[in-house]
Amino acid sequence: MNVGFIGLGRMGSGMAGRILEGGHDLVVYDVVPQATAKAAAAGARVASSLLDLSAGRDVVITMLAEDAAVHDVAFGKGGLCDSLPPGAIHLAMGTYGIGTIRALAAAHAAAGQTLVAAPVLGRPDLAASGQLGIVSGGADEAVRRCEPLFTIIGRLRFHAGTEPEAASAIKLANNLVLGCAIQAMGEAFSLVRKYGVMPQVFYDVMTDGLFSAPAYKVYGKIIVDESYDRAGSTIALNLKDANLILAAGDIARVPLPSGNTFRDRLLGAIAHGDANKDVAALALEQARASGLAS
Amino acid sequence: MKVGFIGLGKMGQGMTRRILGGSHDLIVYNRTKEKAADLAAAGARVATSIADACSGRDVVITMVADDTAVKEVTLGTGGVRDSLAPGAIHLCMGTHSVSAIQTLAKAHDEAKQKMVCAPVLGRPDAAAAGQLGIVAAGPSDAVKQCEPLFQVLGRRTFEAGATQEGAAAIKLSNNFVLGAAIEAMAEAFSLVRKYGVMPQVLFDVMTDALFAAPAYKIYGKIMVDESYDKAGFMTLQGLKDLNLVLAAADQARVPMPSANNVRDRLLGAIAHGDGEKDWAVMAREQNRASGLEK
Repeated sequence: MNVGFIGLGRMGSGMAGRILEGGHDLVVYDVVPQATAKAAAAGARVASSLLDLSAGRDVVITMLAEDAAVHDVAFGKGGLCDSLPPGAIHLAMGTYGIGTIRALAAAHAAAGQTLVAAPVLGRPDLAASGQLGIVSGGADEAVRRCEPLFTIIGRLRFHAGTEPEAASAIKLANNLVLGCAIQAMGEAFSLVRKYGVMPQVFYDVMTDGLFSAPAYKVYGKIIVDESYDRAGSTIALNLKDANLILAAGDIARVPLPSGNTFRDRLLGAIAHGDANKDVAALALEQARASGLAS
Repeated sequence: MKVGFIGLGKMGQGMTRRILGGSHDLIVYNRTKEKAADLAAAGARVATSIADACSGRDVVITMVADDTAVKEVTLGTGGVRDSLAPGAIHLCMGTHSVSAIQTLAKAHDEAKQKMVCAPVLGRPDAAAAGQLGIVAAGPSDAVKQCEPLFQVLGRRTFEAGATQEGAAAIKLSNNFVLGAAIEAMAEAFSLVRKYGVMPQVLFDVMTDALFAAPAYKIYGKIMVDESYDKAGFMTLQGLKDLNLVLAAADQARVPMPSANNVRDRLLGAIAHGDGEKDWAVMAREQNRASGLEK
């Protein structure tokens, strides 16, 4: 398959590596030219522009960090809407907002192209080993055409429905559930600490039965160790997600009280200078609110 | 060991059988006498009064439904405090407020008795099989004396420290973390439904990795199936626990915005007639708030 790939950050470079290993013809592009070096060394052609990247491609994948970036890439002059061949697919694999996905779907349809949204679940190490979870949304025929790529990028694929925004909604909802779990842990750890309990004991109780899952084990341990500086997913990145979640709620008219609580606590953490700490630092912000930390 | 047991509800029934199976000398008491009949057949002596159940006992366990009951049983005339020998232990295994535990601990201390607070994690089937989780707090010598009982009742004991109320705080916090997880799932399911997603797909995504734990598998499935009538844990019981959590938070000065969200949702569910349903019915209340059902 002739594949284009835009956005070679930590996730993107792992995914591009898998596509090359899968024997596909790959052209890559990134606004930061150095980011393409690894893919080039592995056999990808580096495009000089988006126009150059899009020429003759069956599928162009975007894996960008923000809605604004995917807007630029798709709607800018010479961007994907201008340059993708008719019938080609824009496979949007970043975590984008509902409004952005709707705008992309409409613009690609008007240009005779197709949008498939397929946000991924998993960290950079899973991207590099082809072990991501993939949630796909889009017209059945287009999703089927992406199947060979999903097979090499991911371990498991979930099909959300024929509308690309359905996939976005699932990814955002899953992030909401995680954010709320971290927020709840923060509250619980503050409460038990006030009653003289060692955080490790509460961690052991919690992760022994009902909550014996990575969400609680990974983030609970960061909270117990207070190791907020080695950030996996930062507070700032989570604020971006929380805003996308609440915007999705706004568009669909879904009140999300826990989502609002999550966002407020993230804002408080940033106000206290913790923007670049791990999202588990929500527990630190909760400890501040409880008079346990300064 | 000479053991007394007060409170033969669903949990108490299973626990007393385990104690008998461990060859301890057991005397049981329940306000409603019929509940003791089966146990008598299994070899327990049935006490005629609380005083009778406490006389000559090394340890008296209480497993009663709420704060009112445990205070009445312990502090009422002829209650555990009046009847337990000096040096003997009141092993309090129900889920109670931190303030009730503080009150009982003080009363026993004044009466030269010992108190261990050891709430349990698990349902009646786990109680009957001796597979409970036990969170124990109290003076270390007293906790050690209870060890043989913990071994027949539980699968694992978590030592929460010397202050009895710490164990209550852990149990309440764990229940709160579950309530918050249910609320977050409720919000997430209503969000994706508005974007045309089948709830089962979000369930699959969620429980595949980050949340592959009983809390999400059990309660997520109840939401997908909308099988709220088979109540494992009722909305009204959830409200009782959340009120205990918020009272503990109030006393310790810990703001808990997520816990307030859960409590409000439970109140809304009860206001709509769902008090006796499984507390996963919070999802239906969230659907009502989102205009998805009446």
